[in-house]
Amino acid sequence: MDFYTKSAWVIPLIPLAAFLALTALGRNYRKAGVIIGTFAALASFAMSVLVLVERFGQDAVDYNYSFDWIRISGYTLEIGFEVTNLTALMLIVVTFVALLVNVYSAGYMKNDERITVFYGYISLFTFSMLGLVLSDNMLSLYIFWELVGVCSFLLVGFWYTKPAAKAAAKKAFIVTRIGDAALLIGILLLFWYMPDHALGFTMIESVFEGQGGIIATGITTVIALLIFLGAVGKSGQFPLHVWLPDAMEGPTPISALIHAATMVAAGVYLLARTFPIFEASLFASDVVAYVGGFTALFAATIALAQNDLKRVLAYSTISQLGYMFMAIGLGSWTGGIFHLFTHAFFKALLFLAAGSVIHAVHTQNIQEMGGLHARMRITTATFAVGALALAGIPPLAGFWSKDAIMAVALEQNLFLFAVGLAAALCTALYMTRVFVLVFLGKPKTGSEGGLESPTVRAGGAGGAKESPRTMTLPLVVLALAAIAAGFVETPWNGWLGGWLSGEEAVAHVSPAAIIGSIAVAAAGIYLGWRFYGSDRTRPAVVKEAAPWLARLLERKYYVDEAYEFVFVRGLRALGTLLGAFDTYIIGGLVKLAGSAAGISGKMALRLQNGSIGTYSLAAVIGMVVLAAAIIGRRLLS
Amino acid sequence: MLPSYLTLAAILFCIGLYGALAKRNAIIVLLSLELMLNAVNLNLIAFSKYGVVPSLTGQIFSVFTITVAAAEAAVAVAVLIALFRARGTVDVEHMNAMRR
Amino acid sequence: MSILSDIPVLSILLLLPVLGLLVLLLIPKNRHRAITAVAVVATLLPIVLSLWLYTDFDKQQGGATYREDAVWLEVPVNHEWTQEADIIFSFDYSLGIDGLSLPLLLLTTVVTAMAALAAIHVKKRRKAFYAWFLLLEAGMLGVFMARDLFLFFIFFEITLVAAYFLIGIWGYYNRERTANQFLIYNGIGSALMLIAFVLLVNTAGFRMEETARGLEMIYSGSYADILRNLADPNAWVNLPGAAAGGTNPFEMSGGMAWTIFVLLLIGFGIKLPIFPFHTWMLKVHAEAPPAVVMIHSGILLKMGAYGFIRFGLLLFPEQAREWAVALATLGLINLLYGAVLAFRQTEFKLVLAYSSISHMGIVLLGLAAFNEIGLQGAIVQLVSHGFISALLFLIVGSLYERTGTTELPALGGLARSMPFMSGMLLAAGLASLGLPGLSGFVGELLSLLGLFESMRWVTAAAVLGIILTAAYMLRSVLGITFGERREEHAALRDARFVEALPMIVLLAFIVLLGCYPSVLTDTVGVSVEGFMDQLFATRSGG
Repeated sequence: MDFYTKSAWVIPLIPLAAFLALTALGRNYRKAGVIIGTFAALASFAMSVLVLVERFGQDAVDYNYSFDWIRISGYTLEIGFEVTNLTALMLIVVTFVALLVNVYSAGYMKNDERITVFYGYISLFTFSMLGLVLSDNMLSLYIFWELVGVCSFLLVGFWYTKPAAKAAAKKAFIVTRIGDAALLIGILLLFWYMPDHALGFTMIESVFEGQGGIIATGITTVIALLIFLGAVGKSGQFPLHVWLPDAMEGPTPISALIHAATMVAAGVYLLARTFPIFEASLFASDVVAYVGGFTALFAATIALAQNDLKRVLAYSTISQLGYMFMAIGLGSWTGGIFHLFTHAFFKALLFLAAGSVIHAVHTQNIQEMGGLHARMRITTATFAVGALALAGIPPLAGFWSKDAIMAVALEQNLFLFAVGLAAALCTALYMTRVFVLVFLGKPKTGSEGGLESPTVRAGGAGGAKESPRTMTLPLVVLALAAIAAGFVETPWNGWLGGWLSGEEAVAHVSPAAIIGSIAVAAAGIYLGWRFYGSDRTRPAVVKEAAPWLARLLERKYYVDEAYEFVFVRGLRALGTLLGAFDTYIIGGLVKLAGSAAGISGKMALRLQNGSIGTYSLAAVIGMVVLAAAIIGRRLLS
Repeated sequence: MLPSYLTLAAILFCIGLYGALAKRNAIIVLLSLELMLNAVNLNLIAFSKYGVVPSLTGQIFSVFTITVAAAEAAVAVAVLIALFRARGTVDVEHMNAMRR
Repeated sequence: MSILSDIPVLSILLLLPVLGLLVLLLIPKNRHRAITAVAVVATLLPIVLSLWLYTDFDKQQGGATYREDAVWLEVPVNHEWTQEADIIFSFDYSLGIDGLSLPLLLLTTVVTAMAALAAIHVKKRRKAFYAWFLLLEAGMLGVFMARDLFLFFIFFEITLVAAYFLIGIWGYYNRERTANQFLIYNGIGSALMLIAFVLLVNTAGFRMEETARGLEMIYSGSYADILRNLADPNAWVNLPGAAAGGTNPFEMSGGMAWTIFVLLLIGFGIKLPIFPFHTWMLKVHAEAPPAVVMIHSGILLKMGAYGFIRFGLLLFPEQAREWAVALATLGLINLLYGAVLAFRQTEFKLVLAYSSISHMGIVLLGLAAFNEIGLQGAIVQLVSHGFISALLFLIVGSLYERTGTTELPALGGLARSMPFMSGMLLAAGLASLGLPGLSGFVGELLSLLGLFESMRWVTAAAVLGIILTAAYMLRSVLGITFGERREEHAALRDARFVEALPMIVLLAFIVLLGCYPSVLTDTVGVSVEGFMDQLFATRSGG
């Protein structure tokens, strides 16, 4: 009955094999990338579906298998995989989006000369992400955690000739590494504090759940906060969010796959897997909730003022991830995962649709677009679905999952509920703005600059054409998912939560939350329409009324600048300081030692003047001294 | 008797030492060296006659010294003559070519 | 039992490069192809042998069969202590392997062979180059196999001399100055080491033996004797003729132990190098020919760590433990200081030099942890850094061959004309910054894991170094490969097969260690398992 569950380890290995094959083939086989990559993703997806089906069975039990990775007298580090309902769900999300992105890229990256490399990287990423999802302990999770990071780095820097891409790739890696370092310390702490040095999630659950006291509360809090810091880095939460918007320098399918649907959600997944630790520490939970809530609002406000289509979506991703963390911090990890699930579909959809737009108009600046609805009907329609889902309009997926979170917030913490509402308002507002500016109105021509792909050049928005089948098909599929995915859990039917947590499904109808969410979303859309749709002078009015505000938002609250000032320059200054120390103090000491030897040599040389007289005089003096010494010794004793 | 011989030898030795160190003419230096050698010979003979264990060894030794000194003087004077031909001087102050 | 147990495998391994050297000397010096072929074959054969040793060692779980002892020179000496036994001073030829030296042996053979392939760039006096090169290999193999203090010292000096000439003749512009500095620094280190060895032999290097000539007390540099005598100072207390009930004349005084320990720490610390003795090593990295730097950074630096582990840590665990905090501090300084300075270098070779300092800091941290995980971590880090830095310098050599520079501002966008080499460089950089799946991660993880047990805050600070490593490594690697292609680099060719092969081999080892570290840790564990606990148990018991 559980054949597929037991062989779930094959799922990540298929894309790995694809990666190895593509790397070995080299860049000359252009078609190979598309075919091998897509079929690997398809095979993984099929396997994942089979696993999921098995999980629906009545007698499904969690299955895990691990082997010893390193054995050192008494300590064992293991690597293994585990299949639970949660991992099965994540498998579906990852393989599904990966498959669609593979199909989509066949059109989007068609003219890129390194398309084989691109597919290789995507396959590698899929492998790492699936490995992360399947991991059964903290260590193997950390290994794959780093691997997805490096794949993200490779893909962000895919167009490596662009200085911006290079900088973005570097930034993405280093900023997330800060979080990773914290996560590593957290794992070290866990290793030494857990009984039997076990790192498995099952052990973590049984240790932290219920029977308190095995690990002191203080340590628990520290561990939880360190793990959370790791998640903050990966999921782009404040204050480590700065890399995610820059990561949009990568090809758009990548943004959809990695920076919207899967990798950035890994932080949420991590917290869901280690949820018992957070449950055991009230303080850590509060931190998670408040950081999540703050980020949700913070990023949403920034998104209001951005002009780069993909950056708006990036900030929107940060904001939505904030919701998920808020949910987990408030004690509902299933709510967080539910939002992760729906968000993966509609955000991937939005990115892919945006990619379709960019592919057509060759700019990312929304101020230069407009009127695309007539020329790109499928893209427009699917983007609209995604935008409405994101804004939280029922019955689309985003509404249900956001509502689940808002309902919890209303129960637990009114302040965060208000923050969530405010963020939802901003969300609806900026999505309306984007939609109006890009698809409605009249086409603007003569757009220059901001070209994403250097290989393709054509006219501006005026000459836009609908994208090829390979690109629109994934859009349609995702749009359907974005419409339907929300029904797995509604306020009247808590099926998903029950299935995930293994507890009785509970309905949590909360009229206030529902009405509040809908009202806010509607208000946001209305405001957006009034601002950007009917009368386009209004934004300028706001800008005049509060120029500092507009500037603050445009410059993203100057967080980047602050980091640049404090860390980059700080490190550089420290480097210069230590460099001087190395050259002058250490090098100086070495020189001093060297020259001391030299000087003493010169002094000794002076004795050797070549005159026999001096030598013999020295000999005589020496003899006299010797004689005096011997005689003196005799006399004394 | 011994002290007087030893005193004489010491005086001779000091004169020789002074000459070897202070004089600049190489010939004088050589002469002073001979003086020092003979002071030593005197000591050897004195000890062989009046020492704690008198024996012939000391006198035989002094004969050796005299022979070696003769050979040494011959070689040294030859070197000095060669040097004088080459340099035109026998001043020891100028004999510092091996410096550096 | 293995079929090779009767054959002196270790001596053969040691003599293979020497044999190659002799053959090389018979070839006329203008036959470049023949010279290269002989040299490469002479470095490839030891790989086969060491691989075989490695697998066989695992099967035997101990490898005690591989010991070769022969007396080289015996000198009778006077000693006032006992009249009952003759006292003899013996210089021994004694080779052996254990789990600590075997991985380093394998590292040596592999890296040397790859460096021999990389040395095809050498144009001038190729015969002499390979001659010194093979001598260097013999010296390195000897260092890791020697089980006698004086033999160890001799091999250590051979490497020093060979490396001196390799740097001084085939280096870049400032080569002679660099070679001299290398020689002076390492000479000082060797001198301290020799003093420590003499003291060690004098106080603990003896054993009693009943021979045909009667009872003999033999003084020698035998490592096994010294280890046993230090671990159990009462082993010989009931000697015939010993003063009954008196103090044990063989018990090493605390002052003596400390003196030897500190001498060894500084002596090997210069080689490692430990801050502030690192300046010579920067120059060597920058000035020596790439093939030699591969060996220098890949193996010669490891000899310092190996020596410190074998003679400092294993012989004087109490002293080392008392200084654990100091060791950890030194390690932390190395790690952070190297990382920060690597960040500001504009010359890629210097970035890598400081990076070596930084990575050796992790070795020190692992040792300072003073438990088995940390020790394992340190050894894994040694082997891993050996492969990684060899790969990095291999690439640097090929890059320099094409571009004529390794200054970061003058490079950029090379990925376009040389995708393979850029990919390799990126992979090596990622391995160096500790990406899981590649070997660097395992070393860091185990070292930090071990250290965390005893010194939490130091570990937390060390993790900071990992972030810095990412920063400087990406900065320089991306600076070389990413970005707009420069005009002057447009026509550059990617790696040839001879260049690509060693890169692939080294990367394969890096990946193997990263994905399945047990292949290394199990071997090391055979010898080190329970070592420290055992040591402390006997000492505190006695």
